[in-house]
Amino acid sequence: MSATLPQIEFAGVSYGYPEQAKPALAGVDWRVGEGEFVVVAGASGSGKSTLLRCLNGLVPHFSGGRFGGVALVGGHDTRLDGPRALSRQVGFVFQDPEAQLVTQRVEDELAFGLEQRGIPPVTMRKRVEEALDLLGIAALRDRAIATLSGGERQRVAVAAALTLQPALLALDEPTSQLDPWAAEDVLTALTRLNEDLGLTIVLAEHRLERVIAHADRLRVMLGPEAALDGTPRSVLADMDPAMTPPLVRLARRLGWQPLPLTVKEGRAFARRGPLPAPPPPDPAPPAGPTAVSLRGVGLGYGRRTVLRDLDLDLRPGELVALMGRNGAGKTTLLRAIMGLHRPDAGRITVLGRDATRLDAAELARDAGYVPQNPTTILFAETVREELAFTLRCHGGHGLDPEALLARLGLAHAAARHPRDLSGGERERAALAAVLVAAPRVLLLDEPTRGMDYRRKRELGAILAELRRDGVAILMATHDVELVATIATRVALLGDGELVADGPPRAVLSGSLTFATQINKLYGDGFLTVDDVVGHESRD
Amino acid sequence: MTAPCRLDPRVWLLWGLAASVPPLLGRNPLVLAAVLCAALGVRGAWAGHTPEARSWRTLVRLAALFAAIGALFNLLTAHTGDLVLVRLPDAIPILGGPLTLNALVYGLLSGLALLVLVVVWTTLGALLDWPALLRLVPGRLATVAVAGSVAFAFVPQTVTAYREIREAQAARGYRLRGARGLVPLIVPLLTGGLERAITLAEALEARGFGGPPEPASGGRRWRGVAVALGLTALAAGGYLLAAGRPLLALGVALAGAGALAAAGRERHGQHVRRTRYRPPRWTRADTIVAVATGATLVVELAVLARDPAAFQFEPYPSLALPHVNLWLLVGLALLLAPALVTRSSTPDTAGAAEIARP
Repeated sequence: MSATLPQIEFAGVSYGYPEQAKPALAGVDWRVGEGEFVVVAGASGSGKSTLLRCLNGLVPHFSGGRFGGVALVGGHDTRLDGPRALSRQVGFVFQDPEAQLVTQRVEDELAFGLEQRGIPPVTMRKRVEEALDLLGIAALRDRAIATLSGGERQRVAVAAALTLQPALLALDEPTSQLDPWAAEDVLTALTRLNEDLGLTIVLAEHRLERVIAHADRLRVMLGPEAALDGTPRSVLADMDPAMTPPLVRLARRLGWQPLPLTVKEGRAFARRGPLPAPPPPDPAPPAGPTAVSLRGVGLGYGRRTVLRDLDLDLRPGELVALMGRNGAGKTTLLRAIMGLHRPDAGRITVLGRDATRLDAAELARDAGYVPQNPTTILFAETVREELAFTLRCHGGHGLDPEALLARLGLAHAAARHPRDLSGGERERAALAAVLVAAPRVLLLDEPTRGMDYRRKRELGAILAELRRDGVAILMATHDVELVATIATRVALLGDGELVADGPPRAVLSGSLTFATQINKLYGDGFLTVDDVVGHESRD
Repeated sequence: MTAPCRLDPRVWLLWGLAASVPPLLGRNPLVLAAVLCAALGVRGAWAGHTPEARSWRTLVRLAALFAAIGALFNLLTAHTGDLVLVRLPDAIPILGGPLTLNALVYGLLSGLALLVLVVVWTTLGALLDWPALLRLVPGRLATVAVAGSVAFAFVPQTVTAYREIREAQAARGYRLRGARGLVPLIVPLLTGGLERAITLAEALEARGFGGPPEPASGGRRWRGVAVALGLTALAAGGYLLAAGRPLLALGVALAGAGALAAAGRERHGQHVRRTRYRPPRWTRADTIVAVATGATLVVELAVLARDPAAFQFEPYPSLALPHVNLWLLVGLALLLAPALVTRSSTPDTAGAAEIARP
């Protein structure tokens, strides 16, 4: 590593955002060699985004604030050269696939940076062709950006960053808003760029299981000053186990050395070790009246059919995971139950009431709905007011707000502005704002999108508790690991139809696309770390 | 999916200008109806080509609502004209007195003028290739362009976001009651919109939009002043046009455009030289529409100079049939030109596919 030239050299870099007393970075020393693939991980709010924005001068040129120390990127001092000047050295890809593309057509998007730079048209044509091929998006070249899926958009964003032939590509959680398949496409493309072209890549990411095998270095941000930095194996062995993927958690629990990073490496250990006792059978599904019942539901937007002839039951005390690829109709199904979209055919009953005849505000008496981006509903000055507002909407009926906040771990934040909270706290605040009305049916649309392992686990614990209290929960999600730990049933949607409906062990086990890491190791009904090592030996 | 076909952004701007003149100048119902028909025709013909067309519906509905409120307000408060519908007791403050058909007609036509403007501008917003327009901005005006791009990304996304927020709040048991009740819808809309806009601006910076930063110099300051003057002059031109001083408006607007052009051209060759990837081909469709809408604009100015009453309609003191200027109506009919060229401006691929079919 010492033989390669430093691509990034930070010496004592400190930074604080304007009007914030606490620094985001303090005395960071960091060196990244040419051609390295560095993954930056850490809880949200630990400074990942800030660190990445230092690389192309967005911090401090765009953001303002107090900057100290020296950051050299490709030999350029970022204090002197701003983001525009550094755009040739550093390609930057943002988190949000919706907001970062600036043209309306794929080809134009790729050419945009080149046009700004005044590159001659002949060179431009060649570079655009190359970038299209590198990301495997040549088939999309004439498509309108508005018609692309999230994964396609992110690949276009990477390609657009590459046309200026930067030596360094910085990506700020590019897959956090994508489903697992789209994320895989983007990450595969990145590893190819690193291996074939020698491009230096700095990637902020929490889906460690996907990238860690290809990374040369892992940097885990623990706060403004502290960070773990080293080879993925050594850092994963040292870091908080709650933040590691299931495979690493299991390997550390069982003392496997050297630490396996891929399922393939793990399988060798699993084969050698004694076979664990088979996991306990699933508890019998709760009987009794249904909370939500769908019979022959069909629904479409214009000429496009989204759901066809769908039957589904949800009972109190059940947590049903609604899975399926993007566009399979998961969100539409939730919206239909909530009365936000009238079905063309069939019946939907929510606690005995006909949902197709009531509007959302009326259905809200029984059912709570947390949309995909829960922060969209937060508007009040404090979290406490947010809960009081929901209670007012329900004529004052509901839970005790203070007790609920304490239960969700938000007691300290009750008097704070919702938008000032950390990402995880914000999501829980939105959940609290829905739960305070004591809904007996809870509908969640991808509640863990963009969450790290620890926050997912916290949310899972809250949902499991609600379920035990008799709330019927329907959760649209792509998150196989979460489903394996908390769901009582999995309903798999394919092209608007119910493809499978059964306990997680039956639906997820042995599936090519929905198997958990642990299931890939042991097969046969093992889904979680606890299935293998047993609940007693929990550390 | 074929590439969306489109006209040159300058052609669309010309169309937007020609279509905006009549509703800005007066409320002759025949003239307004002609522009409205033309705009709706164009919108309908192009609707299949742009995904954004749908998201503008809310804005049009909002305009219709404002228009209706305006008409009602005028009916209740104007009290002039010869055709009395109902006489409210004089004891009621403001509302008391005769309610006249004249006042209702005047209010409705004012509302119609507003609605026509919104339809024209939302059609323009949906059909104009904004990024292509952005690329016509010289590098010297990079900062203005960045601000503009943030603004245009803001509008359609905000409309979509508003729908999502309204649904989520309804699912929370919320029912909209009164203007104060808008807070739970507007606040998340503004904060979310701001966050999106910042991301877009960051993305533009990170991709070198506007070229390398220039050294601060006297020339730069001069340019800043010129840009400010130019934009002010354009705005003033719009105001003068609305105030019925078209020739003065034209002069002021031209001066503004000149200032902007000078600011853009100043030392243009030294630093930022931009290139075009595939320079948009000026198609036959572009020529047809440019000539047609240009003709509309000429007719409008000619009518304005010789028969300014053609745009106006005065229902007071007594209601009469609106003044008809055939030349003007023929000129406005040319605004339909973009609707007639959608086929010919479709890229060759679509045509090829049709031919290939046996």
